[in-house]
Amino acid sequence: MKKATRLLALLLSLAMTAGLMAGCATPSASKDGEKASNEVENTAVTFTDMTGREITLDAPADRIVALTASDCEILYALGAGDKLVGRGEYCDYPAEVFEVPSVQSGYETNIEQIIELKPDVLVMATMAQTVEQVEQLENAGIKVVVSDAQNIEGVYTAINMLGTLTGKTAEATTIVDSMKKTFDEVSAKADEESAGSIYFEVSPLQYGLWTAGKGTFMDEIANMLGLKNAFADVEGWAEISEEQVIERAPDYILTITMYFGEGPTPEEEILSRKGWENIPAVKNQKILNLQNNELSRPAPRLADAARMLYDLIHGTAAEEDKAA
Amino acid sequence: MKNKNTATHGFGPKEYLLCAAATLAVFLLCVCLGSVNLPLADTLAAFRDILTGTVPEETTLAYRILQPVRLPRILCASLSGAALSLCGACMQGLLKNPLADGSTLGVSAGASLGAICSIAFGFSVPGLLFSGTMVSAVIAAFISLAIILSFAYRLDASLSTNTIILIGIVYSMLVSAMSNLVITFAGDRVKTITFWNMGSLQGTSYPNAAALAICLLVCGGILLLTAEELNAFSIGEENARSIGVNVRAVRLRVLICVSILIGVCVSIGGSISFVGLITPHLVRPLTGPNHKRLLPASLFGGAIFLLLADLCARTILAPRELPIGVVTSIVGSILFVHIFYTGRKQR
Repeated sequence: MKKATRLLALLLSLAMTAGLMAGCATPSASKDGEKASNEVENTAVTFTDMTGREITLDAPADRIVALTASDCEILYALGAGDKLVGRGEYCDYPAEVFEVPSVQSGYETNIEQIIELKPDVLVMATMAQTVEQVEQLENAGIKVVVSDAQNIEGVYTAINMLGTLTGKTAEATTIVDSMKKTFDEVSAKADEESAGSIYFEVSPLQYGLWTAGKGTFMDEIANMLGLKNAFADVEGWAEISEEQVIERAPDYILTITMYFGEGPTPEEEILSRKGWENIPAVKNQKILNLQNNELSRPAPRLADAARMLYDLIHGTAAEEDKAA
Repeated sequence: MKNKNTATHGFGPKEYLLCAAATLAVFLLCVCLGSVNLPLADTLAAFRDILTGTVPEETTLAYRILQPVRLPRILCASLSGAALSLCGACMQGLLKNPLADGSTLGVSAGASLGAICSIAFGFSVPGLLFSGTMVSAVIAAFISLAIILSFAYRLDASLSTNTIILIGIVYSMLVSAMSNLVITFAGDRVKTITFWNMGSLQGTSYPNAAALAICLLVCGGILLLTAEELNAFSIGEENARSIGVNVRAVRLRVLICVSILIGVCVSIGGSISFVGLITPHLVRPLTGPNHKRLLPASLFGGAIFLLLADLCARTILAPRELPIGVVTSIVGSILFVHIFYTGRKQR
């Protein structure tokens, strides 16, 4: 027993020494990096992150860890994907992101994993991090930047902020302009007539129906297209009754259920539901399946999703427009 | 039913009729009330036409909601409620343990693990109507019960209340941890299962109800016929043996029936806790401890309890839904404390 305790004490002290050494090593390493970039040119960047904190970097960030899938997408869209040295475990787009080492994110965020990757900057959302955790990171010489878009305007802000952060402001402007252009195009027809109602399905019937109500990106895009969210009276994501969907009889259904290549596809499954035959969306087969989180993430692909939804509603008209 | 003189007799036809009438009344209430408010006249007309099989060509909203959505759901609610509380009553008798139930013993958790594994790894039995989840949930439920009981017998042959419940809780924790492990590794495919794991009767269908009905008819029937042996067990296993009960055979018979019923219920509605624990306690003051009366009363009582719980889940937050497990746990735990409190006071 005594022996075991002694061994434990020894191990603990060893671990602590190792930790101290690692802690000392980090700042000196980043100082070297700063020196190198200062010699080339003076490119200090200052910006405000999305919690309103002013952040100054001596140079555009070169080593970034991004915890949320949307920020990874934005960084790749900016052409700054090569600066990612770590990503949150749920980041899955574009495919190149899988080559980047993954770290735990959200409530399981592991400070040690992040420090080990020696980033200049950590980009994360305001999810589960305590003030103490942020302090630990800043003490380790890592700038914490919060990106937390709650609506499409917020996505533009996030893109511009990450553009400044990586020294790709021109690219950021291009992406934002292109998104705005797409949104303008798809909302052009919205004023002419009300396009009808849409029901967003987040989780299929088998596991209890979940929908996206007010205050979600799906809701915002629906409104942009002149569609009425069938569950606009529900706040955020919520489980709702099947009876309600039948009563509200939406004109369109958009499901984000994943398909694993076996059994009926999500569209087929919805078409085959008993009692749904008289819902206009089912009757007219106006069902769209977006499986790759296009519509649930604050990232540039929201514009692609809006375009696909537009095509579902206006069908051939959109194809003609494209051809012209 | 409240007449104590009849307490030694079985459940007479009169009592069956009374309970069936009460269940039917609650069933009708659940037909009429729901997330969507339908006109009462329309609803009753639709219900009558569906029962008589004369659904007109031009249907009202009542038909389109009642027939495919509301009816199968309340059928499943009543049948699972009946099955779960019958299981609870039998296990409480078999183990002489007032706290025994599918959820306290870890059987539901085991069945959930089976169902989750079958979804995660795509396991299915070809040719079977309800392949995959249902079969693996039943098997997992049986294995769980076997593990828990064999462990309990080895530790403490007298099967004291505390030993079994402790083992059940530890087993539940272990199995829940394993479920989470499977969910973590199985990736996106099982992420949606966390919703399902809370227990929900949404999306249940007529085939589900038919499966439940068949299992309840067969296994429930067997359990009801075991009432006399369970009476002997509830005095003590030694006593049961001495009056000529084949202890091993009865135990195995009850365990198999209970696993099948719990497995099927879990695969259809997720783990709905507290139903099996609470209903036998609720009906016991009315029926007394005789299993010949307790078991049928639990059967009907469970159906009524889950029907009402599901009604709350469907309507309280409309258009939103509450997971039914949340409703049964809240109501169940409050009732449970009440029963124990008043029970202690009387002693």
